[in-house]
Amino acid sequence: MRVTTLVRIVLLLCAGTAALAAQQAVPPPLVTSQEILDGLPADGSRWLTFGGNYTNQRHSPLTQITPANVNRLVPQWTFQTGTLGNFETTSLLRDNVLYVTGPQNVAWALDARTGRQIWRYRRELPPGLTACCGLVNRGFGMHGDKLFMVTLDAHLLALDMKTGSVVWDVTLLDYLGGYASTIAPIVVKDKVIASVAGGEFGIRGFIDAYDAKTGKRAWRFYTIPGPGEPGNKTWANDSWKIGGAGVWVTGAYDPELNLLYYGTGNPGPDYHSESREGDNLYSTSLVALNADTGQLRWHYQFTPHDVHDWDSTEVPILADIPIAGQQRKVVMFANRNGFYYTLDRVTGKVIVAKPFVQTTWAKEVDRDGRPILLPGHTPDEKGTVTCPDITGGTNFWPPTYDPATRTFFVNAREACMTFYAWKPEYKAGERFTGGAGQRVPSSESPVYGALRAIDPATGDRKWEFRYLSPSTAGLLTTASGLIFSGDNDGNLLALDSRSGKLLWRYQMGATMHGTSPITYMLDGRQHVLVPAGTTLTAWALPQ
Amino acid sequence: MLTTGMLCVVGSGLVAAQDLPAKNPLEGDPNAIRAGMGLFRGRCADCHGMDARGVRGPDITQVWASGRTDDGLFKTIKNGVPGTEMPANPRLSEYEEWQLLAYLRTLAASAPTDPPRGDARHGETIYRTNCAGCHRVNGVGGRLGPDLSRVGSARSRETMVKRIRGGIEALGAGFEPVTLTPQNGPPISGVKKNEDLFSVQIMDSRERIQGYEKDKMKSVENGKRSAMPAFPSNRLSDSDLDDLVRYLQTLRGFDPAVLP
Repeated sequence: MRVTTLVRIVLLLCAGTAALAAQQAVPPPLVTSQEILDGLPADGSRWLTFGGNYTNQRHSPLTQITPANVNRLVPQWTFQTGTLGNFETTSLLRDNVLYVTGPQNVAWALDARTGRQIWRYRRELPPGLTACCGLVNRGFGMHGDKLFMVTLDAHLLALDMKTGSVVWDVTLLDYLGGYASTIAPIVVKDKVIASVAGGEFGIRGFIDAYDAKTGKRAWRFYTIPGPGEPGNKTWANDSWKIGGAGVWVTGAYDPELNLLYYGTGNPGPDYHSESREGDNLYSTSLVALNADTGQLRWHYQFTPHDVHDWDSTEVPILADIPIAGQQRKVVMFANRNGFYYTLDRVTGKVIVAKPFVQTTWAKEVDRDGRPILLPGHTPDEKGTVTCPDITGGTNFWPPTYDPATRTFFVNAREACMTFYAWKPEYKAGERFTGGAGQRVPSSESPVYGALRAIDPATGDRKWEFRYLSPSTAGLLTTASGLIFSGDNDGNLLALDSRSGKLLWRYQMGATMHGTSPITYMLDGRQHVLVPAGTTLTAWALPQ
Repeated sequence: MLTTGMLCVVGSGLVAAQDLPAKNPLEGDPNAIRAGMGLFRGRCADCHGMDARGVRGPDITQVWASGRTDDGLFKTIKNGVPGTEMPANPRLSEYEEWQLLAYLRTLAASAPTDPPRGDARHGETIYRTNCAGCHRVNGVGGRLGPDLSRVGSARSRETMVKRIRGGIEALGAGFEPVTLTPQNGPPISGVKKNEDLFSVQIMDSRERIQGYEKDKMKSVENGKRSAMPAFPSNRLSDSDLDDLVRYLQTLRGFDPAVLP
């Protein structure tokens, strides 16, 4: 009797589970390398990697929101971080769940339909952090059933996508030595690519690859070569040991060439020329690395012996475009030093190099790709005025590329600065810049910003939309001919990407500093997700 | 436990405050002065000016001459000045603070040797007639111009004289003159409090604070000259100017050095 009852109960339970399973959709399989490689799908169902796909184009195929109806966008929900500090992130989306990193080593999984939290991850910040410029994070990487996130104390974590719990945790390098990390990792095949910041703290920068399953390090590429390696002699004496060249902005990947493209940071000390005579390779460069081994294929140094803190940590964008009648594989790069570049991404040779903002330090870039310097731009104790300023012609906020019109879009800054330099003393883990910058009063040199559309075949400007002051917002374009941006006063803006005409705006109450909107389909409706300050707001057309 | 812990924290704070040397241990040290110059230019000069003679923030070259002490200034830098734009600097180390002060000391004006000029009581009368319509002192007066309750410790005599005589044309943030012309109705003049591409927020000449959408205006014109009128000698004699400045020099607000 008792046995019969037990059997009945078991049978009932099994039937119940089966019924429940029958009602539920089959959970999607694990995130595959192929899925990431495919990039943004036509159905808008996912955004799996920092730039939308490995090219970093941030160009969505979605067309439900158009120049004609964008003025009807309405907010669907707003999420508040509840933390100090602001978003600098690109969110990821898969299976109707958003994965978002925030400031202060906090991250969330959110229901994309409602903005409600599913889980929250928080890592206690240890004392003595050296992150130079805000306790920020630029986003997750994703593969298998894991998310990958770097931390301000220079760790790389793998989190369980379903729970937010830590699966593995590796130290990139001891943060007390001036190392930090803020970059959004990407996953290439079975490897997670991560790197360190700390160019103001006398670090020696590197890019690492780790096995996505185990966290075991596969390779390390030092952005400053060691003794005996090519390039080490471009640093006087022992200056290479503390030469900086951090990497804090996500690069691109070309699967056919199997090359990673990462921009490297400034040499240190930032401003004091005599502390590190030489070109200072591979600081302020674009490096092309074999994704399996980390070996350097080629490098291009935008600013040899930089003395203005012009990290080349802007986002590179890959595309194949016709130039002078020939189809070329290129990498596009708007640099903090004020020049826009189109490089051949097979060889690293310069195809186009042209200022996209007022640039006073170099006359032009010569045929070998070397800038022809103008005199009087090495900072000293008295101060030298140079354009662009420290923040640069642009910076880490992502640009976009529309392949249909072959247009590169970037939020550009027009500003000059008086640069000072003096000999600094190096103390491990302490600020090591050897100088400072002072804004030139706007009465002498007006500071402003503009969204600029650039033809990558020539470097010429197609149009611009002027802001009152420089914007630091990342961009998003769509196949319907829209570009989303933000200004420096908290306005979210939608413009016609063909003409630069403003179509719609909304005052968000905070700038989109370093963040980029993403777009995706949810239950048949296109959404645009916008991080600004401590909020994340989802927009869609009315139902 | 909690109480004991809190007492300990408070206690250690007091000890730290008592440990603070009265005099800058790095004064005159050339390395400290150079490092302090960097700190100042990077962190302070936007408000205080490259020469430390004051822009939005006060003239710091005058502070020692007006009786402030090294340890008092140290606390001002560390804690900021509540109710003003001067922020606290909790991340600046004690060593860096002394470096900063070592540099500032090299810019400091010496105490004035001339006997003070002018009659402050008469100056106050001139002030009430000519200035109080737009400026406020200790809660009394107009709001269109900057509050002058602390001007005596923030600006040198020389700067005040220049400003009153019309020798300075800088437009302070929040006080830039602007004129809005609506589609219908007379122009509205005031000073700009905020602005973006689409709107402008002003205080008009009747002290009404109000925002306006630019696309509803016929024009929005930024004034090129300060809303502060010049007072040349035919309008304000040299001796009246001495009296007025003498009065302004008595306006010292509160002394942040005595704050905890």
